Amino acid sequence: MMEWFRKIGAGVLEFFREFGASGIFASRTICGPVPASILVQQLYAVGILSLVIIIVSGLFIGFVLGLQGYYTLSRFNASEALGQLLALSIVRELGPVVTALLFAGRAGSALTSEIGLMKATEQLSSMEMMGVDPLRRVVAPRFWAGIISMPILTLIFSAVAVLGGYWVGVRWLGVNAGAFWNNMQQAVNFQDDVVNGVVKSVVFGFAIIWISVYQGFACVPTSTGIARATTRTVVYASLAVLALDFVLTAVMFK
Amino acid sequence: MVAILGPSGTGKTTFLHLIGRLLSPRKGTVRAFGHDLSTLKHDDLFRYRCRLGMLFQSGALFTEMSVFDNVAFPIRVHTQLPEELIRDIVLMKLEAVGLRGAHDLMPAELSGGMSRRVALARAIALDPEVMLYDEPFTGQDPISMAVVVKLIKTLNDALGLTSVIVSHDVQEVFSIADEVYILSEGEVIGSGTPAEVRANTSSRVDQFVHGRPDGPVSFHYPAPDLKTDFLRETA
Repeated sequence: MMEWFRKIGAGVLEFFREFGASGIFASRTICGPVPASILVQQLYAVGILSLVIIIVSGLFIGFVLGLQGYYTLSRFNASEALGQLLALSIVRELGPVVTALLFAGRAGSALTSEIGLMKATEQLSSMEMMGVDPLRRVVAPRFWAGIISMPILTLIFSAVAVLGGYWVGVRWLGVNAGAFWNNMQQAVNFQDDVVNGVVKSVVFGFAIIWISVYQGFACVPTSTGIARATTRTVVYASLAVLALDFVLTAVMFK
Repeated sequence: MVAILGPSGTGKTTFLHLIGRLLSPRKGTVRAFGHDLSTLKHDDLFRYRCRLGMLFQSGALFTEMSVFDNVAFPIRVHTQLPEELIRDIVLMKLEAVGLRGAHDLMPAELSGGMSRRVALARAIALDPEVMLYDEPFTGQDPISMAVVVKLIKTLNDALGLTSVIVSHDVQEVFSIADEVYILSEGEVIGSGTPAEVRANTSSRVDQFVHGRPDGPVSFHYPAPDLKTDFLRETA
């Protein structure tokens, strides 16, 4: 029994130690200049290279939502409200959350394994020995690239998903196009829905990138250590996104 | 040129990491250029490291950069030199290690020996005062090893460097070192010029220098009595 308590206590202490260390790591990453040329390279690696998965996923989620929404609404003779249903569910929830989950799987895991491999092959140590701070040179550009990319990817995801829903609802199932767009325009408030969705995506982006770069930087520099760190990134980031979504939704949409 | 020798796992690489303050000691102090390294602030520490060059065991080349960009990296970061001048310096450094013709290659296209030579060119790019070599001969074929031995000796003499080599390749190190220290189990068990260390009669030094399979460092890892181990009933 005592052993059990001891293990729980050790686990709690380890959690707070790790949390504190990652907090110091994040503050040192945020404060300080970022080399512009590397930031541009990382915007390409983190943002542009995530576009395909974001666009394809957005399109299919739009399709599915269009179908499900149409079948449900048509039972109540309210299929004209499909635009409203699509826009609100995508802009408020599905856009930020699904983009964040995809971003954690695509970019977050790539960042962790890249930084972990740099550590395992002594590239980070060699940088330090050349008088170059890896936090500024390696971590900070990736950190800011992630935070800049996330809201842009979310907006693209939402736009593509709405277009996917439009294609299914209007072009395929015959919902009136005027009613579709008009209801959407009436229901969506720029400040409450679009801006809040973007705020959510920035918060999610911060959490995902913080977890990703810290896990890479602090991983055990072996093949098993990198694999575990990459897994932890996807699990922790996904859970963090879902938990933050609940908190932000509760605060934003009272 | 000072060499630190000793069996694997005895702390030789840790010793180099302490000099570069990649690690901090739990006890005691490390002093270099008149400073206690543990007292150096962030910027001072990075300035101090600019006075050192280190050749890592793996080479530690940046995999996404070409050979040229790897060698140019510290020069671009630490100086405001024009690109034409950087090109000349990089080609000179690569010429010194015999790889000027390989400047367009990527690290993945290099052999182990070539990687280490490029890493050496990068380590001397900023003309350091002290060079640290971490196992420079490990995993090299005889020709590559001879090339690296010659390069280290030539660069040390030509640039007037202080060099610290960590290795367990006795013959290669003895051929170029001025002073040798042998570490084992956390202590210095022998030191002096290569000739003095060769003549050392201590059984531990003798076993290491002449590569004897058994001696004070036992062939067998500590284990329970053979009979007890074999007759033990498994659960």
